[in-house]
Amino acid sequence: MTEPSAARAWAVIGLFERPEDLLRAAARLRGSPLGRVQAYTPYPVHHLDEALGLRRSPLGGMVFVMGVLGALTAFAFQYWMSAVDYPIVTGGKSPRSWQAFVPITFEVMVLFATLTAGLGMLFLLNRLPDIFHPMLASRAMEKITRDRFALALESSGGQGVDVDAAKKVILELGAQEVEVLPLPAPAPAAPLNFLLGLGGALVAACVLAGYSTYWVIKLYPELPPMSHMERQPRLNAQSPSGFFKDGRGMRPAPVGSVARGHRPYLIKTPEEAARLVNPLPRTTETMEKGRVLYAVYCRVCHGFLGDGRTTLTSAYGAKPADLRIKRLALAPDGTIYHAIMVGKNAMPSYAYELKEDERWAVIHYLRALQRAQDARESDIP
Amino acid sequence: MAEALLPEGLREPALTDGAITLGELDDRVLSVPETRPPAKWFAAFALTSAISAVGLACIAYTLYTGIGAWGNNSPVFWAFDIINFVFWVGIGHAGTLISAILFLFRKRWRNSIARYAEAMTIFAVICAAIFPLIHVGRPWLAFWLFPYPNQRALWPNFRSPLLWDVFAVNTYFIVSLLFWFLGMVPDIASMRDRAKDPRLKFAYTALSVGWRGSAEHWQHYEKAYLLLAGLATGLVLSVHSVVSFDFAVSVVPGWHMTIFPPYFVTGAIFAGFAMVMMVLIVVRETMDLKHLITMYHLEVMNKVILGTSCLMGYAYMMEGFTAWYSQNQFIHHAFKQYLWGAYGWAGWTVLVCNVLIPQLFWSSRLRRSYPSMIFVAAAVTIGMWFERFVIIVMSLQQDYLPSSWRLYQPTLIDFGILLGSFGIFFSLVLLFARVLPVIATTEVKAILPGYQPAHGGDHDRA
Ligand code: HEC
Repeated sequence: MTEPSAARAWAVIGLFERPEDLLRAAARLRGSPLGRVQAYTPYPVHHLDEALGLRRSPLGGMVFVMGVLGALTAFAFQYWMSAVDYPIVTGGKSPRSWQAFVPITFEVMVLFATLTAGLGMLFLLNRLPDIFHPMLASRAMEKITRDRFALALESSGGQGVDVDAAKKVILELGAQEVEVLPLPAPAPAAPLNFLLGLGGALVAACVLAGYSTYWVIKLYPELPPMSHMERQPRLNAQSPSGFFKDGRGMRPAPVGSVARGHRPYLIKTPEEAARLVNPLPRTTETMEKGRVLYAVYCRVCHGFLGDGRTTLTSAYGAKPADLRIKRLALAPDGTIYHAIMVGKNAMPSYAYELKEDERWAVIHYLRALQRAQDARESDIP
Repeated sequence: MAEALLPEGLREPALTDGAITLGELDDRVLSVPETRPPAKWFAAFALTSAISAVGLACIAYTLYTGIGAWGNNSPVFWAFDIINFVFWVGIGHAGTLISAILFLFRKRWRNSIARYAEAMTIFAVICAAIFPLIHVGRPWLAFWLFPYPNQRALWPNFRSPLLWDVFAVNTYFIVSLLFWFLGMVPDIASMRDRAKDPRLKFAYTALSVGWRGSAEHWQHYEKAYLLLAGLATGLVLSVHSVVSFDFAVSVVPGWHMTIFPPYFVTGAIFAGFAMVMMVLIVVRETMDLKHLITMYHLEVMNKVILGTSCLMGYAYMMEGFTAWYSQNQFIHHAFKQYLWGAYGWAGWTVLVCNVLIPQLFWSSRLRRSYPSMIFVAAAVTIGMWFERFVIIVMSLQQDYLPSSWRLYQPTLIDFGILLGSFGIFFSLVLLFARVLPVIATTEVKAILPGYQPAHGGDHDRA
């Protein structure tokens, strides 16, 4: 690198008033050994690219490739998602009916292509953003973006431009004003600090946002209205509700109503119930049904075998009956039915839990339990 | 140029009133953000933001209570939400038409109004996007619309036009934003170089990404702009076609028609031009831009409105003809509903506002007078809103199952959100007018008389 000297500069800029003057000058200066020739204009001036001998912009090819890539990507993804990974039949069409993927394929193609055209132009071809470019610090810039046309000889490879020679050439070409941008170009330290600061601020913002989101979700998993429909104006089973006068969410059945599978039970005493007859045939299915229901409703208290050996702790405070005793073994089905319907002392009624035929099924099973534990000699075949 | 070969009557007139130099153009357009807005602006902004506040409050209420707050109910599950969505997306299309399609056709009069029209596209799409978002009921889960690997191991249904819509509208928004921003970069660079306040200067420098206007910059830029215009043209046609698929792909009588895509696209441009027209008149008058947005501009726009209005009339006729020719009693019924049903007056409003009133523009005197322009533009806006109302609500209200027929009735909340969307739109338009260049100065500079070297280039002779 050469030392900065009075005779060398980063750029020498000449300002012209008319676009024609610029074109003429640019064509003459083209290929100058003094430095890189660059033109600046407030708007695109026709034929300037030819005058400077610029190569054609490769953007068209880039956009074409990315457009094709976008279309392929979109099509492949849609096909894989809806025909391979999770095939669904919609409207009676085969999951492989590709015609439905055309609209999105088109949209994604356009998206890829436009992003390439727009951002590719700015970032790749024009090497922006570059908000610390030395040219931006020049006085000429203010005129260029307004109404002047500039031709500049810029240093390439840090060599600097010979100020006197460049000035002479540019003035000869008819420039009204000349500006010299000194070497070295504005220090790159500022951008570094700036970029570090920007990056740091971004990271800090991300970390802050991440942590606060984490804690908000942890502390308030559901914040109205984001309550995932948890809170709804509805009656919940077994919980209070302000909707009814009695404050209960569950409603008692209206007086006189009869639920399906239940008949009004008007019998008051076991003796009266004795005349009830078990309507169910004693089949394997009934037995199986009875076994299951016994296990669900009776076993906790009356034990596996109906022997009254309860699995409840002493906290229960009562002693469930041994169902094998003679009195019960000889009692008619109706008596046991009555016990299920109205309960007895510490045994609650099971009228609500069991439907009519279920009660009789339990009784069949109970009979089997009693008989199984009362084996006689005659049982041996 | 080819222009010169045309007979006098067909030649494009001067696009500015009186000669304007490059510097004057900047002083007129770019000085706006440098000055304090006048009291009128503050009054207008206060009004529009109050209206947006009403809309936002209604949206908040909807989110809190659920969309039962609206009039939608079986069988009319789509109503104001989708009407407003289609309406606003359509408004946006005029911007893309002006900035992209007219660019491809080398219509130079587009240059001075393109920027505004593009901005309106962005704002209209923002307004449009609100509606499907709140219609899903739980907008914080709207990301479910996108295909991302999730623990439910599900993908969205790519055969649903509603998903096509998600992709179309999102792409449209991104592309419009990019197009708008790229167009503005050189203008913002001009503003950067005018700015005195260092903070403002820094903001504009960052926004202009350090644009320098070098010959290479411009070369790539022009190429990119041309490509973008081409892509946006295809896109804008596809977007409203996809929006129309939301209806046409279903089997609802009155929706299931092949004419829908072109018919929707035309309607969109029609409505959009009316809206651009109204805003331009206000801008032209209040921001002292009469020299740049001339009567000629307004007149050409009015011709486009007249042309699209005739196309709309044709589309309505074709719709009716298809319905009759189909010999399908359900479609017959739907069409009778349009004009003689409970909301028959809406159907007649559509015909009068969209087909009849714009015919005024056959007279060149009316094409050039403010009252008639405003009258027609307002009529078209109203008519196009009702057109979507008729298509959506009337078709759903009485479909195949008479037992579930039910008269649709919107609620106050529905109207509040509709009103609010207008507030949001105009607030954004007002803000834009004060902080960014409302006219594409670089594009206008390039077409100012005498500022392009003559064809063939002087340098050849030099
Ligand atoms: C909560 C514990 C509990 C459950 C569950 C229970 N019982 Fe009882 N059961 C008892 C107690 C305690 C007694 C003894 C009542 C007494 O004699 O004071 C009893 C007694 C009986 C009797 C004798 C009644 C009589 O006339 O002496 C029968 C029969 C009976 N239970 C059947 C059943 C059947 C069938 C089921 C299942 C549907 C069942 N129990 C479920 C606690 C229970």
